[in-house]
Amino acid sequence: MTQTPFRWHRRITPWIFILPTVIGLLIFRLIPIFSSFYLSFTEWNLLRKAQFIGLGNYVEMMKSREFLMTLTNTLQFSLVYVVGSMALGLALAVLIDVQIKGISLYRAAIYLPVVTSAVAVGIVWNWILGPTYGIVSNIFESLGLTAPYWLSDPKLALNTVASLQVWKMSGYYMIIFLAGLQAINKDVLESARIDGANAFQSFFRITLPMLMSTFFFVLTITIIDSFKNFELIYAMTKGGPQNASNTLVYDVYLNAFVFYRVGYASAIAYILLVFVGLLTILNFFIKKYFVYSLD
Amino acid sequence: MKRTSTYYIRLILIILVAFFYVFPFLWMIANSFMSDKNILSVPPKIIPDLLFSKNAFSNYKSVLVQYNFGRYTFNSIWVCTLAALGQIIVCSLAGFALALMHFRGKNITFSLLLLTLMIPVQVTIIPEYYIFMKLGWMDTYLPLLIPSFLAGAFGTFMLKEFFSQVPRPLFDAGIIDGVNSYQMFLRIYLPQAISPLATLFIIAFMNNWNDLLRPMLYISKRDLYLVTVALSQFQNQYGVRWNLLLAGSVLSVIPLIVVFAFSQRYIIESTMSSGIKG
Repeated sequence: MTQTPFRWHRRITPWIFILPTVIGLLIFRLIPIFSSFYLSFTEWNLLRKAQFIGLGNYVEMMKSREFLMTLTNTLQFSLVYVVGSMALGLALAVLIDVQIKGISLYRAAIYLPVVTSAVAVGIVWNWILGPTYGIVSNIFESLGLTAPYWLSDPKLALNTVASLQVWKMSGYYMIIFLAGLQAINKDVLESARIDGANAFQSFFRITLPMLMSTFFFVLTITIIDSFKNFELIYAMTKGGPQNASNTLVYDVYLNAFVFYRVGYASAIAYILLVFVGLLTILNFFIKKYFVYSLD
Repeated sequence: MKRTSTYYIRLILIILVAFFYVFPFLWMIANSFMSDKNILSVPPKIIPDLLFSKNAFSNYKSVLVQYNFGRYTFNSIWVCTLAALGQIIVCSLAGFALALMHFRGKNITFSLLLLTLMIPVQVTIIPEYYIFMKLGWMDTYLPLLIPSFLAGAFGTFMLKEFFSQVPRPLFDAGIIDGVNSYQMFLRIYLPQAISPLATLFIIAFMNNWNDLLRPMLYISKRDLYLVTVALSQFQNQYGVRWNLLLAGSVLSVIPLIVVFAFSQRYIIESTMSSGIKG
């Protein structure tokens, strides 16, 4: 807007409009963030009074092998999720960016898992990947192979769940990439084709650079979404076997509401907050670096 | 487009990919029509045997009646409708103020709202749980409804963007007619926003439907269960009764798939224009 601010309403009116949102922001987000910080220095089971124990929870965390494993699991989950979702989302968008009869139906089919609950998705994949009765292990066996234990092998469980989360959400990133692709001026691609550029050249030299802003937008969202893994882990592995698919998000739930170690869970929640913060800052700098180097 | 061989290769690839995304749902439906005898056969049976028997829906009947899924689905429908309604009201009010009004603290409010979008709910769930426990709201739907009403940062952001793109002459006409802020909102801006409001309603409904953590923590009375929690509890207790479990899964996703089928164009369009799902 170019004109000087023109107040067409009473001073108080905007606050009436925004009051519920501000109350929600304070009560459900800002105040809990500060009180979690205090709680992380206490020992508490929700019923008795919280006991202040200084850095006790953090010290225990750093000494716990299980917690360190949870931390690396979280990093691994995020890495698999972000890289997988970006690659698959982009590939699907490129594949589906075409005028074919019924294309919107195919698009909707790929989008379907996005709108269904992680619990139902987790249950049906448990059934598909299960040993003995699962269709996948039976296909493996009919080919004379032994099927891996997708969910009960500690080496595989985390990657299986992360990949299925990628499967579930990739339709969403596909649509965002598709919007980016369709915004690219087709004349540029056409003139490149006339100049003799092949499909790979025009994808990597023209499409991808012109897709940069979409690319970083999706990167930001996938980083945020990579922490939304509670439901699928709960439905598929419950953090097991032997803690192998436990992540920070799941560990907060486990310690707070299964073991009733609320102070310790708050400390984990704080590590989670720092983790999210670090990834967001990293994302910010990568973006800045790329924007400069492209100029 | 010319029907070249690349065209057909691409079409086949697209169909294969789409199949990979739909197959689990088809498999879920097929296996929900298996009898107890057939569900655990090795190798797995492809043809659901119950479909060709007299009581084709016996799995569904026992899940709906014996395991009470009818009740849970009903609970989910009205709780999620209410939560989504509240969310679009609150978000449209806030989005309108942020887009069109001037006040001190506007930028900081908006930045904080955006910032909290990034924070996973698990960071703040413990104090939230304590608040609702102290208020005595356990085993009521209030802890599911109130956070959904008040903390719809995505919706606020989406509607703010929408309201600031409404053509300026509409605003000027309102000023000339001398409407007050509430009339400006209700009579001029809100009727413009029917389609984003509908999209937001559907998205909020789906998010509430699929939420697991809050309903699991706050609702322990069986009669009050929402369907997603009921399904996950059923899995914990009767995990080996796969045909019933999958029938329950089908029941829990059917309402969503129906809503999606009718609204997929709007949902996909709104994702394309704003990248917001929730």
